[in-house]
Amino acid sequence: MAKSSLQMAEVRAGQNCVLALTGRIDSTNADELTARVNRLFAAGEKYLVVDFKEVLYLTSAAFRVLLVATDEAERSAARFALSSVFGQVRELFEMGGLLDAFTIHASREEALAQTG
Amino acid sequence: MPQLPSTTDLVIRNDIAQLAILSEAMERFGSKHALAPKLLVQLQVALDEIVSNVIKYAWPEGGSHEIRVRITFDSGKMTIEIADDGRSFDPRRAPPPEHLPAGQRPRPGGVGLHMVKQFMDSFEYARIDGWNHSTLTKAIDIRTK
Repeated sequence: MAKSSLQMAEVRAGQNCVLALTGRIDSTNADELTARVNRLFAAGEKYLVVDFKEVLYLTSAAFRVLLVATDEAERSAARFALSSVFGQVRELFEMGGLLDAFTIHASREEALAQTG
Repeated sequence: MPQLPSTTDLVIRNDIAQLAILSEAMERFGSKHALAPKLLVQLQVALDEIVSNVIKYAWPEGGSHEIRVRITFDSGKMTIEIADDGRSFDPRRAPPPEHLPAGQRPRPGGVGLHMVKQFMDSFEYARIDGWNHSTLTKAIDIRTK
């Protein structure tokens, strides 16, 4: 069995960073994602976009990570946004009542076009 | 054609990594019964939410324990039963406390169980002979093939 069903790729876009996720976010890998996001903020990232384009599935464990990341961004005086939250995954955000809890952009490009 | 009842029994340890076993079993169950992808995701999320709560909170003293899961599909109804011998806990009532930094705006506590309630038609709980039993059901449209 694969150790993790979630892949994470960091893509630099000038001063900003996109963390592109692929796969499933659940309790088995939520801690890995939290650690990665915390490391990025600790390294001084001022704008982090988490891209959901290739995310197939998530549970409330993902929401916990994102809410903690929102706080972490605030503490680090950084900005934090999500992009490409579509289809099934968007419905899960809706069902969790969390669609309004985050800044969500239609695409990674649109997210990166939002300057300070 | 009416389908015969179909049951899958699974036993996992209280180790979060073992959730993958349940997801995979649900996936196989879903393809066997030609469940729509959206429905399959909802069932997987519901199972995942309940079992991850059990793993995290049922045995505060730690140690290795069993969680028993039975998935049944019969007469257009999906039933998921989850049983553990941890401390008595009705997941419908008391969302476990979240250990999160203070001053957080939206609180994630209870979000998972809220999703379970939305996805499933019924969500029952009973404490029987020292075991917690959570039973989730959902009516499934049998798709003509």
